Amino acid sequence: MYETIGIWVGAIFTLAIYSFLYKENSIYRLAEHLVVGISAGYGMAITYQITIKPRLVDPLLSGDHWILLIPGILGLLYITRFIPRISWMSRYPIGFYMGTAMGVGFPLTMKARVLRQLEGAMVPLYQSGMAWYEVTGNVVMILGTLAALIYFFFSKPHKGLFFGTGSKIGIWVIMVGFGATFGFTVMGRISLLIGRIQYLLGDWLHVIE
Amino acid sequence: MSAVNIWERMLNIDRRWIFLGIGIVSIVPFFINFGMPVRTTIEVESIYDYVDELGSENAIFISFDFAPGTQAENMPMAVAVMRHAFYNDVPVFMTANWPLHHGMMLAAMEYVFNPTTEGFYQDIDFDDWRELREAGVTAKGDLVDAWESQGNQLPDGAMGWVFEGRDYAALGYAPVFNLVILGMTISIETQYPIDAHENALGEMPMLQEHKSLREVDLTLTCSGSAACEWWITYAREKIGMPVAFGVTAVSATDYFPYLQTGQVIGQMGGLRGAAEYEVLLAENGITSSTDKAFTGMDVQSVAHILIILLIIMGNIAFFAGGFHKKALLKEGR
Repeated sequence: MYETIGIWVGAIFTLAIYSFLYKENSIYRLAEHLVVGISAGYGMAITYQITIKPRLVDPLLSGDHWILLIPGILGLLYITRFIPRISWMSRYPIGFYMGTAMGVGFPLTMKARVLRQLEGAMVPLYQSGMAWYEVTGNVVMILGTLAALIYFFFSKPHKGLFFGTGSKIGIWVIMVGFGATFGFTVMGRISLLIGRIQYLLGDWLHVIE
Repeated sequence: MSAVNIWERMLNIDRRWIFLGIGIVSIVPFFINFGMPVRTTIEVESIYDYVDELGSENAIFISFDFAPGTQAENMPMAVAVMRHAFYNDVPVFMTANWPLHHGMMLAAMEYVFNPTTEGFYQDIDFDDWRELREAGVTAKGDLVDAWESQGNQLPDGAMGWVFEGRDYAALGYAPVFNLVILGMTISIETQYPIDAHENALGEMPMLQEHKSLREVDLTLTCSGSAACEWWITYAREKIGMPVAFGVTAVSATDYFPYLQTGQVIGQMGGLRGAAEYEVLLAENGITSSTDKAFTGMDVQSVAHILIILLIIMGNIAFFAGGFHKKALLKEGR
């Protein structure tokens, strides 16, 4: 019973959202606002139920974990944002979180997203035993990386053989990248449509398996 | 009507006609099966091969890092790998990095355990097999024998039993998830004292064998955002944990560099990636048939053909109408 009601609600709101494709209308806006409100409400309920209650409230009520008062109070300071007179107090939890996240994340992020990528770009152009397509791939990757970097080098005018030609090749490399991203984006958007059609025709109308 | 006007009309076609066309070509293939083949790629095969090598002594994480907005792409990936793991008796820890994603984890479990789903797995709640657990029966083979000797029969159509706490643990959402990953490199239980069903993790046999991420063999992060990078940053780089990506098509190109550097063992990109995994499961007899992602591939192909035709037509109209010589088209273009 409840599952059927849920499917009908989902189907009606899917159609309400898709009505925007014809033109902007009040049914679409209602559905849009409901998505935002319900998502926020759901998030708050889940956060309380599976985070705040078992990890903070219950241990505090049991009387064994008074140390949790420190993060609890620190977290509550966020709410002072709503009281202008003492809103400055919200800076403490924000500062604590930012400091911790930066301290913990910076070395690992540098390693994962910068140093490893640099390492990945340092490949041999040719080694004995390498197939021709590997050699071609490595050459294209290294020249492409250099050309794209030249395009984003603004301290010199993009003129001459090195900076001029390099930046032009860089534009082409970037355009190829955008093209690939666009292709994947089209695929992604169609996939989302397919998911909704499967829901409407399958779960709701039962005309497909 | 002059020739230029025809080209101009083509370029200024009401976008609603295009939406209608896409809508029609996205519905028709569900009724007329074109049977277009889906060839598997090395990026997906490497994930499949890796999971296929694992057994009951191993464990994997599936991280539900996506919201309902991208579930059409991400959900089939998670479901496919979950089925593969269950088939090989590999314990699965399930996490979510955001409150909305927690619901996706529950939805995936509901789908895989639902008796109306073809090839479902029969789920046994943590409390239902307490006696056997307390008697020390936790090895999968012994557990199934002992469970069935109590008169329990595997329902028709079920692929097998899955015991909560032995075959899977629904850990769910925890706040500040990047730091949770970091914490789990030391101890999973300190980050998740209880699971999403309020079962104590300390009592779970799978946690006794896999106390931290260092004792887990793979994380598949099914992600609709940049959250998948957290697993690289905080698990792969910190302790060398193998990571696989299941990402939306939109973000697939962003993450190919991680494949090239070897930071991820493989990547499923969008619905296509999920369909490839479903094909591998079906070809190897792990599932009796493919699932939703594969069904969608016919639609995907036909819709792509229409979009390619529209792009070609648009370009023909643009150049044939001589608009490349003009600064602006009429009507504000």
